[in-house]
Amino acid sequence: MKEPPAIIGVGRTRFGEHYELDPEDLIDEAGLMALDSAGIERKDLDACYISDYLLQVTNKIGLEEGFMSQILEMNIPIEKMRSFSSALMNACNAIEAGKYDVVLVGGMEKMTDRWSKIRDNLMLLVDHWSYYAGGTPESNHELLLREYIKEYNLRGDDQQKLMTTLAHISVKNHRNAVLNEYAHFRREIDVKRVFAARAEEQKMLGLYDFAPISDGATALILASPKKAKEYTDNLIYVVASSLATDFISYPSRTYRSGFLASRIAMERALKMADISLDNIKILEVYDQSTVLEMISLEDLGFVERGTAWIKLYKNFEDFKGYYDVDGRQVYVNTNGGLKADGNPLGATGGAQIFEVVKQLRGEAGQRQIKPDGDFLYGCVQEIEGFGTKVYVHILGREKGGK
Amino acid sequence: MGSEPIERRVAYIGDRLKGSKCPFCGKEYFRTRKYCGNCGRKSLGKMEDIDFFYEKGVLETCTVVREPTNKFVKLGSYIYGIVSFHNGKVRVPGRLTDIIIRSDEPVNPENFEGREVVPRFRRRYSVDRSDIIPTISLAFTFADEYYPYQQYDITKPSKEYDVPGIVGYGVYISRFRIKEGAMERSVPFIDEDAITAAVEAGKLALIHSGVDHRLIGKVYVGSESNPYAVNPIASKVAQVLKLGEEEKAEGVQGVDAVDTEFACKAATSMFKDAMALVYYPRNPMDYVMVIGADNAQAAPRGEPGGELDFFVGYGGAAFIFGMRDVIAEVEGWYSCTSDTPDFWRRDLEPYPRHGGRFTGEPAYFKHIIKAGKKLMEKMNLKPSDIDYFVCHQPNPTFPARAAATLGFKPEQYLPGLQVSKFGNTYSGSSPIGLAAILDQAEPHKRIMIVSYGSGAGSDAYIFITTSQIKDKRERQKFTVKYQAENKFINYVDYATYRRFKEGL
Repeated sequence: MKEPPAIIGVGRTRFGEHYELDPEDLIDEAGLMALDSAGIERKDLDACYISDYLLQVTNKIGLEEGFMSQILEMNIPIEKMRSFSSALMNACNAIEAGKYDVVLVGGMEKMTDRWSKIRDNLMLLVDHWSYYAGGTPESNHELLLREYIKEYNLRGDDQQKLMTTLAHISVKNHRNAVLNEYAHFRREIDVKRVFAARAEEQKMLGLYDFAPISDGATALILASPKKAKEYTDNLIYVVASSLATDFISYPSRTYRSGFLASRIAMERALKMADISLDNIKILEVYDQSTVLEMISLEDLGFVERGTAWIKLYKNFEDFKGYYDVDGRQVYVNTNGGLKADGNPLGATGGAQIFEVVKQLRGEAGQRQIKPDGDFLYGCVQEIEGFGTKVYVHILGREKGGK
Repeated sequence: MGSEPIERRVAYIGDRLKGSKCPFCGKEYFRTRKYCGNCGRKSLGKMEDIDFFYEKGVLETCTVVREPTNKFVKLGSYIYGIVSFHNGKVRVPGRLTDIIIRSDEPVNPENFEGREVVPRFRRRYSVDRSDIIPTISLAFTFADEYYPYQQYDITKPSKEYDVPGIVGYGVYISRFRIKEGAMERSVPFIDEDAITAAVEAGKLALIHSGVDHRLIGKVYVGSESNPYAVNPIASKVAQVLKLGEEEKAEGVQGVDAVDTEFACKAATSMFKDAMALVYYPRNPMDYVMVIGADNAQAAPRGEPGGELDFFVGYGGAAFIFGMRDVIAEVEGWYSCTSDTPDFWRRDLEPYPRHGGRFTGEPAYFKHIIKAGKKLMEKMNLKPSDIDYFVCHQPNPTFPARAAATLGFKPEQYLPGLQVSKFGNTYSGSSPIGLAAILDQAEPHKRIMIVSYGSGAGSDAYIFITTSQIKDKRERQKFTVKYQAENKFINYVDYATYRRFKEGL
């Protein structure tokens, strides 16, 4: 098997409200940390891929490449993508094509700068007919939940268990974030509080079921395997980088109780990495809502469809820090997930990757997991829009293959 | 700031819910498409046009939106979900309208899911006062509540008439009412206005008449509450109801459409023009539609013009005139006009003013009585020769007094007296009264209608019902009585009434 590109350094800012900082300050901080941790200089960079969703509307920045060039004081190729995973995938493609050897991948978002419009702006990521019909960023998650409930006929006590499971997911992610010095929210909550927020808002899903709106930046250094080894022995391979797409219009999809694109992307990624699900011990899923964490576990194949609600429910009766589902042990969102770590869109994927890299390298400090057996691979799912683009990256201390 | 081209495109598709159907595999799409995703090249250019405007859907999945995006804030809490058409061949996002959900009121989606819904043409969301008003039909109401699902079946006419007359009609009154004392008045939902009422009335008239929408040669919309000073309601009606032959390449309708204005007689004035056009010997039009629709304006109580706030209503009526399958033939008409400024609204002013007592004797009564008397004289008729009388209804007392002065008895004028149920619907007022009579009149009955428009003038007409009036009656469930006595009527308080009237 061909040797895949490797991550040799990662960096990030704290996620949260950075009222005093410009987007360029944030990416500067994350980028410096990544360069530092890789032990390289700016001049070693061949190219740069950056990502953000909304800087055009939130900060009136329309040509990010230019300000990246100015920050770096370099004239290297720079391209701007939407999500961090997209930037990483394109960087991987370029390195695998032999075009570059060392690439900076960075993501940033400044969502609190236009607080009053940010939810409207988020509607840019769904079809405009849903917007015209009155949809909101949260409503699709609730429709997905309703579709799931109906698909698996969850009534009465079962539905109550499902809602409790979702509450536990939020509690678990908040607990994980307490140990994450970069997280947006570092405080524990309890199940009662999740339910109280739902009741107060008279909604199926409440404040504690949704990821927040955050500012932040993340970065990593990706290198060709040959170059990577010149810098470090502790490299993390990107053993799979896959993408699948789906219709922008959620109502017009045939399958609506999950994301088809997640399933396809995961199948492709496993094939690319030539490993099995059992090899993956840590998973970062894109939990924009608690529903998405639960359903992503099914979409990605870790739990049989239609059963996550009850299997996780049983896990949470005596939670050990990981999900024990369908004979697999998998740690999920150890950084707190989008729910508690934060969700500065363009930077979010970078934080997911940051976490998996840190865990695989054994550098996660208090959060460090010690799964049974060989701890070689981790997986990151990032979603653009509402299941419209799903990226799956598999990272490994080894280069893949059984 | 809106975008004119985007508004054009979104309204063109969204007001009518246009789509495409593959002639080979039957796959359907919301939004028009040139080819089918299953059948590929062989379907290119062969896709059939469909739309869901007259269809019934099912609300499959839903949730409650409590915190809308910025332009939807005035809607408060609402139900949002996925609506399927044709057994799930097509699914669209949709918002339920005509429902008030309190912010602290629990909503169980299970109470809504699986129920049949009807698309409704409404305002889409709030915009600046200077912007184009966005509309859409991705708003829905339950088919088993106030507004019933009714098929639009185009019927081949069976009988030609020698004189023109009414071929069909429709009345639209909103679900909401305010009740003060003995008087009930219709209140628009917050996403309704004169434009949406005009479209609804026109749609109901097409359903009732069975007339092919492509054969409508001209549409008149009379209103004094068009939310635009410049930009017709009639063009929206023509586009949404696809009146006249459609020229698909350009997306235009082969129809003449115009708005008319003369206070509350803006619509009735055009009845004779409509009948003249269908009777015109050289090149007659098949059918002409006349709509009177108003979100009757009034200043808040206590402000100048605020006296009107006790009487204003909301709604519209549409009449289709023609020479085939006529339900009421015209027998005669008379109009009178004088320069009498008893009620007016200056440009850029939101609410009309009126001349107090001056609106009575020298204005309303003088013109109505003159027109009524003169027409009877012309036709050599006595009040006893007339079965039903209806006139403009600004309040409950004026029309009764005018009718009595003309020599009519309560049994002649009460069937048409609707003001205490709906309020004064301005341009829709006497037409709705006429519709209430047509809803119940036997064949061969003589009806006199006298409108009144401030400024001032009256139009008087006499119609005689035909035997076909009874045949067509079963085509319309949504009658005036049905709307007046519906168990799904929702009564609102004064503050809500004002807020709804001001709209999005």
